[in-house]
Parts: sequence; C-alpha cells; structure tokens
Amino acid sequence: MSWSDIWLFLQQGILSGLVSGSIYALLAIAVVTVFKTTDVPNFAQGEIFMVGGYIALFMLLVANAPYWATIIVTLFGVALVTLLFERVALEKVISSRGTPVHMVIATLGLAYVLKGAVRQTGLGDAPRSLPSPISTDVVMIGDAFLTYLDLVIFGVAVTTMALLYVMFNYTRIGKAMRAVGMNARAAQLVGVNLRRVRMAVWALAGLVSAISALLIMPKILITPDIGHIAILAFAAAIVGGIASIPGAVVGGFLIGITENLVGLFVSTNAIVLAPFLAILIVLLLRPQGLLGGKLQVKKV
Amino acid sequence: MKKSDAWLLALLGLVLLILPFLATGYVLYIVNLLMVYVVLALGLHIVLGETGQFALSHIAFYGIGIYTSGLLNNAFGLNALWLLAASTLTCGIFGFLLGTLAIRMRDIYLALSTFAFGEAMQWVFLNWESVTNGSNGYRLSPIRFFGHVMATDAQAYPFVVVMTALVLAFTVHLSRSRLGSSFRAVRESDVAAQAVGINVNLVKRVAFMFSAAYAGLAGALYTTFSSFIHPESLGFQAMILVLIMVVVGGIGSVRGAITGAIIFGLISELLRQLLSFQEVIYGLVLILFMMFMPKGLLGNGRPLRLKRATRAPDIPGQAPVEEGNTVGVGARRSEQA
Repeated sequence: MSWSDIWLFLQQGILSGLVSGSIYALLAIAVVTVFKTTDVPNFAQGEIFMVGGYIALFMLLVANAPYWATIIVTLFGVALVTLLFERVALEKVISSRGTPVHMVIATLGLAYVLKGAVRQTGLGDAPRSLPSPISTDVVMIGDAFLTYLDLVIFGVAVTTMALLYVMFNYTRIGKAMRAVGMNARAAQLVGVNLRRVRMAVWALAGLVSAISALLIMPKILITPDIGHIAILAFAAAIVGGIASIPGAVVGGFLIGITENLVGLFVSTNAIVLAPFLAILIVLLLRPQGLLGGKLQVKKV
Repeated sequence: MKKSDAWLLALLGLVLLILPFLATGYVLYIVNLLMVYVVLALGLHIVLGETGQFALSHIAFYGIGIYTSGLLNNAFGLNALWLLAASTLTCGIFGFLLGTLAIRMRDIYLALSTFAFGEAMQWVFLNWESVTNGSNGYRLSPIRFFGHVMATDAQAYPFVVVMTALVLAFTVHLSRSRLGSSFRAVRESDVAAQAVGINVNLVKRVAFMFSAAYAGLAGALYTTFSSFIHPESLGFQAMILVLIMVVVGGIGSVRGAITGAIIFGLISELLRQLLSFQEVIYGLVLILFMMFMPKGLLGNGRPLRLKRATRAPDIPGQAPVEEGNTVGVGARRSEQA
C-alpha cells in the first residue's frame, strides 16, 4: 500500500465515517438522555429505530403515502410507542419499587415485542430499502466519494444535534431534563414533575430514533434484526462517557470513523469487532469514558 | 433446608428417576437441555444474585466450555469426566481473568464491557474457522463415560442429571460457606465488606471464576447429549434468556434460579417454531413480570442494586456540575425508595 493509497483511504474512511457516525451519534444521544434521566440503559433502542424504519416503509410502499406524510407519521408513531411504553410499563415498574435492573429487563421485553410484531406483519420477510428522495449522485470531496444523500444525512443529523443543544440549554423542558439527570430529587424539590420529564425524555428518544431511521433507511437494507445497530450506539455512548451528551456525539463520530477505517485498512470482517474492542479499551483505560468527567469518590 | 424444599427435591428426584422409562427421546432432550439451563442459571446466580456483579459474559464462557469439550473429545476421545474438568478449569481461569474488569468498573460499565467480551467471543467462534468450523457449525462426536458411549439423549440423561444434582449441592454448600457470605457482603456494599477485612477484589474475581466455571461445565454437559453447535446460538439472545431465568425466577435465590431456568427453558423451547409469536409473548411476559412482580417468582425480597446509591454526591470542586458530567448522584434513587 503506497502513501497515496493510505491518504485516499484516510479521506474516504473519515468522510464515510462522519456520515454513518452521525447516525450512531443520534442514537447514542437517545440512549444517553434516557439513561441520564431514568437510569435505564435502553436495550430496546435498536428495535425502536427498527420500528421507525418499518413505519416509514409501510407508509411509502404499502399505503403509497407521499414523503412528507411518511415523515410526519413516522416521527409521531415512534414517539408514541416510546411514550406509551414509558407511561404504561416503566411508570408501573418504578411504582412497584423496581430497580434499574428491572427496568432494563422491561426494555428487553419491549425489544422482543417490537421485533415480533414487525415479523408478524410480514413486511420484514425480505430485506428492503426506502426509495431515496434525494439524488444519490456522486460528489467528490478531496479524493473521496460521497453521495448527495450522504451530505443530506450528515446535514440533517448535525442540525438535529444543534436543535437538541438549543433545547437542552435554552428551553424549560430541556433544562428540566438536565436537572433530573443531575439530581432527580433536588429537581423534584424545585418543582420539576419527574413523571412528565421521564415521559418527555422517552418521547424525545423515540423522535430522535425515528429521525435517524428516516435518514439512514434509503441507504441501507432493513430487516427486523437491524436493531443490532444499537450496539454501536451503546459503544458510542460508552466511549464518550455514558452520561455525557457531547460525549455521545464525539463517541458516535469516533465509532463511525473507526469502523470505516478498520473496514478499509484491515478487513470488512473485522468491522464487527472494532466497536467492542473500542469499548473494552476505553473502559479499561478510562472507565468513565472520554468526556465522562472525573471519577467520583465513593463512600458508604 | 426447609422441609418443603426437601419434599420438592424428593418429588423432583422421583420424576427424574422414572422419566426415562416413560418419555421419548425428544422429551429427554428437553430435560437434558433444561438441566444445562439450570447449571447456567446457577452460575449466573453466583455472580449476579450472590455477588451483585452485573456480568453479561456468561454465554461466552458457555461457548468456550462447549468448544473446549467438543474439540478435546473430537481430537483425543477423552473420558467425559476429563472433558468436564477441562471445560470447567479453562472457563474458571478465563473467568478469574475477566474478573479484573469487575475491579475496574461497576454497574452499567461492567455490564457493557462484559457484554463486549461476549460479542467478541461469539465473533471468535464465528470466524476462527480452522478450529470452530465457523458459521457452518461444529459437529460433536459422541462422548464416552468409561465404557458407556453417550450417543443419544437417553444415554446421556443419567450423567447429565447426576452432574446437575452435584452442581446444585455444591451451589447450596458454597452459598452457606464463608465465601458465600463474602459474596453477599460484597453485593451489599463493597466498601463495608472491605472494612470488615474481606479482600473485595479477590472475592469479585473468585465469583467470576465460579460463575464462568459453571458455564463451562454447562457447556461440557451440553456436548454429552448434543451432536452439533452453531455459534449463532451463543449470542446475546441466549445471554438474555439466562438473565431472564435468574431475574424473573427471583434474583438472589437458588430456588428462583432453578424455577426460572425450567419455566423459561420450556417457553423458549416450546415456542421455537413460532418465531414472531414467541418474541411477542416472551417480551410481554418480561414486561408484565417487571411491572407486577419485579422481585420475581421466588425472590428473597432483597432487591439487586446497581449500587449507584453508594456513590457520594458531587464533591465541590471535583466534578464540574456541567451537563453530562455527573455519573452517579446519591440522591437519584431515593425518589423511588
């Protein structure tokens, strides 16, 4: 491999990595916001994303709806699923004194239900993809090939992140979410309605998952097992420090870029392993993640 | 042992004793499989229920056990006892080493790093083709136990049942020993355990070691009656199954782990043909159990904690109170208490 090859691979790997990384980052944000406010590592994250993809698929291909309607229905549909799950199941687990372990298992239950339900519809029998609303013509950036679709994916994802940033920093509900994430009890004492915040956070996670599903669906083939992608979101969240939203973004891009570089330089076979090695290494060297702040002293 | 337990055990023993005279091969296969699940669940019980370490690496060790035993048998045709010993020992050593993770991290971090280990092992099983035959699956030839060749489920059945009974007896013994008390002390609070002179790091490693050894033994047991293993069945799905057995059965209770193993082993086997249906039912059972019986069927009422409660609140000047920087806040959980 000559130097010019390496330079080319680097450019291609980093740019493609930024595109797929932006999706991982969005999913990681969903994981982190839920984790911060409800203490639940949401193991149904991948399936929530998957359901978003299938709602869009159903609207476009079966119901023949226009694209704008598909987008609206997908966003609201997924947010409704997560909202209902939180309201009906998790609130009940919390009120019957369930610990985070129990809530985690409830999310695993949700994952199974969603996957089974999608299989039941028969839509998932063959891998499918959405027709792309944006041209997939090639754009050259430096020496790397991207498509217009890639640029839109990246652009929308970054815009979403910017909107989330504004929400978390300048709106009441966003500040309430952060307050609950820092100290739920203190937040409650100053008048934050914990139940409402938890519901809002889950709805938000659903919304963000739906956005990422809509973005990436025209680019990949979807099956009911696509939920595996959440593993990468978790990897991103952990690499960045699981309680840090900026960390999730950094982690998402890092995982995306690592994945693409490993695929280009090592072998496509090793792609699957890369995120896990990243998790293990980061956790061993810096257990709190890259942006996880200092480790806290524990006391009895 | 409570009297009711003694009766239950006697009844179970009687059923298992007369079963081979009544049942067909398929039923015996299911019983064998349930025994393997029982051993697996008891192993997870030690690390999760007794010691409170959230480890998701159990199925990885189960896989290592299966391949160790299968490879040794295919290569040398060793006696079943040697295979069992080899698998148990190998996994025990790996488990002891992986226990290092539990010293470095806890809770969700431990869960995810052990999960990563599990996924990495599955990848190895799938891709180390010269040894495991990769995604084509690995054929396991029949195993000898002294002169007795265990080629069918019925032939392996007595061996599997006796071994499971021994494992159960050992588990009860372990949980009553000094070490068992240390496990529980670490679960309740590792700082307090350290204060009374328990070597917490060693105890955590030993718990991982025992748990992994159980999984390895379960793997070796699996090879005595099964003739085929596919890496696909050694993934996260299986891990979740065992986790559910322990948690829904009742976390921290041997009886719970066994009950969970039998019930969920049966459910997963009976609904195998109806995949989509199985998933929906399975998921609903989980959600409903967590909603209405979070302590499980036979839990001892002591909830497993993710131990965030033992973290101190922010210390001024140490961790900047900025978005995302508070990893664990003491007061967070008291809202539920």
